Amino acid sequence: MPFMIDISGMKELQEKINKLKEKSQNAAAMALYEGARIVADEVGRSVQGITTEPFHYAKSGEKRKPSPEEKAAIVGSPHGVARFRKKLERIDTSVGWNHAGYVDVNWNHMNSKARTNYKAVNFKGSSHTASSTLKWIREQGGSEKYGLSQDIGRHAQNQKPVGAIANAINSGTSFMEKQPFMRKAFNRSKNEAVEKIEQELEKRIEEMIQD
Amino acid sequence: MPEEYTSLVSALKALTQGTAPDPVITLPMAENEWNTRPDADSYGIVALDFEADALYGDNLKQITAYEGSVDLFSRSKDGAGWVELIVATLTEYCEGAWSLNSHQYERENNIFHWEWVFQVEG
Repeated sequence: MPFMIDISGMKELQEKINKLKEKSQNAAAMALYEGARIVADEVGRSVQGITTEPFHYAKSGEKRKPSPEEKAAIVGSPHGVARFRKKLERIDTSVGWNHAGYVDVNWNHMNSKARTNYKAVNFKGSSHTASSTLKWIREQGGSEKYGLSQDIGRHAQNQKPVGAIANAINSGTSFMEKQPFMRKAFNRSKNEAVEKIEQELEKRIEEMIQD
Repeated sequence: MPEEYTSLVSALKALTQGTAPDPVITLPMAENEWNTRPDADSYGIVALDFEADALYGDNLKQITAYEGSVDLFSRSKDGAGWVELIVATLTEYCEGAWSLNSHQYERENNIFHWEWVFQVEG
């Protein structure tokens, strides 16, 4: 004997499933951000460990350490989590310096940024332009007081790209001693970051299901 | 430079076994041998950069993994043959635990720079 089954709410279920896809991408992005933030914070701490010496040109066959001004340029520049990129079903981001094109360093020149609205955070922790940071360093007694080399602010004046300086210190060059502060920071923070992403994902998926 | 550091493998061994007095070893390279000419057009730097990971057991650190890097600087676009040699050595000595981290060109000095990152058990 033939029989029929009525199922109600299929349309609503279908709509809910469709929304889940959209929501899951947002949840993944939010979780990724939480993890990336941990990495970015660690990079900020790692930068403080860069060792310096007064600026001098490296002799042939020798390498020099970064100057205090070069370190100051990195410390004083904003860094953080990049805009998220969506590639097919994948979402990814980078951590690093704004003017560096983030970790995968490109060679954007800070000059163009400086003419527009370049902001740097000086030693006092407040937001200033690159030139006002330089002015503040000079007002505080400049190079002699802080044991910095005489060409203080050289990088602010010449508008060297922060990304290039960071990259030269991190990877080393034929004239610059290598101090892989980025890799150290990634290594130190990766477990915590992955754990945080997992936690956030679990939390957000649970919220989505209950919604 | 001690004689035993004239090859990449012996430098890596000295670093991981803690017999190297300095955690950074520079290996000038030219022609067919390492360390033949201080003003070589190609030279390499092998360094253990930091402790990457550790495995603890019985309240003791049982295994330590170190992350290091090999930097090759060369005026030759193809690394004068050192690229293949370094890759082969890393594959043999570090098994799969290495990668090419960056490949750059210094326009001012006309030097190509390769940077490999590896992990080894210390």
